[in-house]
Amino acid sequence: MIVGDRMFETLLIVCCLALAAYAGYAHWQLGKQRLRASEAAAELEKVQATQSQVIHTTKLASLGQMIAGVAHEMNTPIGFVKSNVEVVRDLLGEYRTLVQKCLQGFDVMLAADLSKPQTIEPLRRAMTKVRDALANDTRLADGDDLLKDSVDGLTQIANLVRNLKGFARVDRDGMDMFDLNESVESALMIAGHQLRDRIEVKKELGTIPKIRGVASQINQVLLNLITNAAQAMDDRGTLSVASRRSGDMVEVEITDTGAGIPDDVLPKIFDPFFTTKPVGEGTGLGLSIVHKIVQSHGGSIKVRTAPKKGSTFTVSFPLDHALLRQPA
Amino acid sequence: MSQTRIRVLCIDDEARILRALKALFRDMDVLTTTEPSEAIAWAAQHDVDVIVCDQRMPKMQGIEVLREVKLAHPRAMRILLTGYADLNAVLGSVNDGEVFRYIAKPWDNTELRETVQLAARIARDAPVVQDKPVDEFDRETARKQVGILVIEDDPETQQRMREILQPHYQVRFVTSPERALTVLEQHETGVVISETAGQHGDFTALIKSLKQYHPHIATVVVTDRANAQVAIDLINEGQVFRLLLKPLRMGSCRLSVDAAVGRYWQLKQNPAAAKRYFVAPRPDAQIPSWLSGSLLQRIRLLPQRLLGMARAV
Repeated sequence: MIVGDRMFETLLIVCCLALAAYAGYAHWQLGKQRLRASEAAAELEKVQATQSQVIHTTKLASLGQMIAGVAHEMNTPIGFVKSNVEVVRDLLGEYRTLVQKCLQGFDVMLAADLSKPQTIEPLRRAMTKVRDALANDTRLADGDDLLKDSVDGLTQIANLVRNLKGFARVDRDGMDMFDLNESVESALMIAGHQLRDRIEVKKELGTIPKIRGVASQINQVLLNLITNAAQAMDDRGTLSVASRRSGDMVEVEITDTGAGIPDDVLPKIFDPFFTTKPVGEGTGLGLSIVHKIVQSHGGSIKVRTAPKKGSTFTVSFPLDHALLRQPA
Repeated sequence: MSQTRIRVLCIDDEARILRALKALFRDMDVLTTTEPSEAIAWAAQHDVDVIVCDQRMPKMQGIEVLREVKLAHPRAMRILLTGYADLNAVLGSVNDGEVFRYIAKPWDNTELRETVQLAARIARDAPVVQDKPVDEFDRETARKQVGILVIEDDPETQQRMREILQPHYQVRFVTSPERALTVLEQHETGVVISETAGQHGDFTALIKSLKQYHPHIATVVVTDRANAQVAIDLINEGQVFRLLLKPLRMGSCRLSVDAAVGRYWQLKQNPAAAKRYFVAPRPDAQIPSWLSGSLLQRIRLLPQRLLGMARAV
């Protein structure tokens, strides 16, 4: 029994040890797992941080593009407005000299002794000359035309700034009701300098109800699709933008007459980091971000393409049903 | 009266720009059009002195218009007025349009007026040199007499140029402005080929100063530091003859240098035409310290004999 007791004791000890060992092992394993989990979490965080950084960089790139676009658009009106204002100032100066001459004539006339005919005749001739010069002078009319152009140019600049504010939506960055057609117009304006002298733009914007979403993000989507379309057309081409209501959705369709997308490339175009551009020229994120933004709005994006004929990207967004049920 | 008035032709796709220019040049005879083809026909037809042309237009690029005008009416001086400083346009305006000045929109009224007036004066005073290749006999003489100076410290480019040019011309290589002047002082040099910068710093100040005092020397800038603003300054202050990008291609390099030698040879026979390549330093130009002292003095005093201009005065 003693032996048995001992044996039992030993067994118990062994069991305890084993248990302890297992507990230790389990604890170690758990720790390892936890470590792995935390490592994984850290890794995930890192990836997410990189991703959001990349998205941020892409946003900055589109901001840069936007600034360059608007700067180019403003150059022309600023050019002639600035020149005109300076010229009008010169014209007014020259006109003032003419008026002063006329006034001097008056002064001489008022001071003269008009009872003598020999004074009147030369004075009359001199006054007539000055008067005719003033009457026939075109400077005021010319200046007027230049100012008309200038007001025109300033209105154009004001519109650009308004459009820019609309595009960036600095005043309201959040879910809101907005007009998709306005977004199309802003995006076309921002992309204007990439299109102007080589690409013909055709717009067919239908009457569509407002949709709910983050307008600045949708603007980014449209700018990206328009820029891609422009880049797909090497030389000259036509860019068509149409919007319409289709059942419970509103659609924007962007069509180019460019190179088209090859079959082996088509399945990958929305993949992050996929690009056909040379290294350093594209991030490969444009369309993946477009896709993400459209999805987060409950929308969808479709592509039709034919080699050497061009591509059509169709973005659809759901209408807000609660709003639709309200009587107009 | 109307014969002494400057005759200027303006081309822009924006009518409001044209009206602004017409008002700005109101003491001149101004023709304006939004149609590039019309402009090309009008230039010779109306014997204009100066052409002011926009770059980005839907029907035709400005440099194409200027290239055509150059052929149809070489007497007129060409000015590109543009809001876009993209490198291809700048290169084209040198190599194809051979523009007198490249002016940015929005422009400065006084500066633009003065530039047009200066250009008109030159267009009337200075004879035109024909852009024809040097003939067989002259080419032999030119080869014996006229040297080509290359300022470049990249050994690879040096080697490339040696391969392309050595069989046809007397080519001398230097790596610094200092050495460049020593060569210029000792040998008749018709063409200077230069990078924009090297290990010894910026070369553009040298190119510009050389043009100021010796406008008949043709300069060909070969660079891999492509930068639109540097190129624009080389036009406006250096009247560079050709602007080439690295890596050098045999064909375009040979063509450019042949044309440059041809240009030098023409100007040597016809020194008054060199006025067409007149440049003045910008009032605010920063002359680097290494150039401001004795080096500038040496540029100024380069012996006319060696510049082939003995017959000039």
